[in-house]
Amino acid sequence: MILAMLAAGINDKYPDSRQRLIRIAEIMNKHNPTNIMMKMAWKISPVITAAFTDIETVKQVIQTLKEEDLGVSIVISGLISEIKETVKEIGLNMHTVHLSLGTFGKKELLPSAKTLEITTMCGHHCTSSQSVEYYVKLIKAGKISVEKAAEKLAKPCVCGIFNISRAIKILNELVNQS
Amino acid sequence: MEIRENLCNGCGKCVIVCPVQAIKIIDNKAVIDKNLCVECSICYRNAECPVNAIKSRRLVWPRIIRNPFSDVIGTHKLTGIPGRGTEEMKTNDVTNRFGTDEYGVSIELGRPGVGTVLKNIELFTTKFSQIGVEYEKMSPVTAILTEDKVNIKDDIKDERVLSAIIEFKIPKNKIDQVLQIIKEVEKEIDTVFSVGIVSRVMKDGSIPIIDILDQQGFKVNPNAKINIGLGRA
Repeated sequence: MILAMLAAGINDKYPDSRQRLIRIAEIMNKHNPTNIMMKMAWKISPVITAAFTDIETVKQVIQTLKEEDLGVSIVISGLISEIKETVKEIGLNMHTVHLSLGTFGKKELLPSAKTLEITTMCGHHCTSSQSVEYYVKLIKAGKISVEKAAEKLAKPCVCGIFNISRAIKILNELVNQS
Repeated sequence: MEIRENLCNGCGKCVIVCPVQAIKIIDNKAVIDKNLCVECSICYRNAECPVNAIKSRRLVWPRIIRNPFSDVIGTHKLTGIPGRGTEEMKTNDVTNRFGTDEYGVSIELGRPGVGTVLKNIELFTTKFSQIGVEYEKMSPVTAILTEDKVNIKDDIKDERVLSAIIEFKIPKNKIDQVLQIIKEVEKEIDTVFSVGIVSRVMKDGSIPIIDILDQQGFKVNPNAKINIGLGRA
């Protein structure tokens, strides 16, 4: 996942800050993301997000962003080891990292780990665990394709970071395991 | 949110999309448990109710506080960005919010997908007040703390939200105390919470905090959010 954000009170003071963000969105969109923030939000949001299926595509997007030198903060979400190597190959350095230590507390309240793999793809948790279970049942009953179910599950995620390709993979695993 | 009983046909589409399982079918009608509902509006936007029975109602204080902590649509008045988080490390290459001698900490109560009452925040803040932390000024959680940054304002303590993020920074030498508090609260809290640690990356690309966390018994996920330094003021 790649995110671009304007620093409030600094980057958003540029007269062309909106054009810079839209340019980033266009670059992301050109590289066939599996999901991207809805287009109508590009004109108002201080953040642009998109999800990609492979690190090679992420590398191409970052390479272009480096060349265009738009001065907007870029955050990549993914495997630390992969991102470290990728940015190094482009001639960049990781600046700041947000590490996840996982979940604590009453974990018995959580759905299965596989279901969580899907619901947590939306960082704001707009995709419910019941909807995952519901679509797994429909897929098994032959009433919906895995691809269509993944699209339905992605719909509540307005930021566009829900990785539809990954959801298809996990849904297939859920259908086959039960 | 409200479901108009006279229109509802009991199809259950709203039940499926609710992230906190606050909607049930009772006597062939969808019924929202007002206590569990976090006012995220997800049912309103995504249930595709065939009879338009879901109604967005005007919320009043204190219930209205549920919405900004639960509904991702719309820009928060305080933070200026969509959702309940802040810029945190996402713009650190521009803001230098987290320096080389500091760590950032984010504790998201109710995540993933369980929800929390706001008073759970006090389980942490009462303990953090004893070690001294610097809360993120732009955080929606900081805005609902009392002036001494210990308690949640009385009238909203029992309000339920999808998640609430405590964000602060500390000098590096306080990380052990923070981790100890996390271990203590884990035993007493009635919901889940997710923990994130923000650190600057060393010039050689190393991240020494990972080993420190490991020594304290905290396993760092292989995935992370990484600011790659393309921003500038």
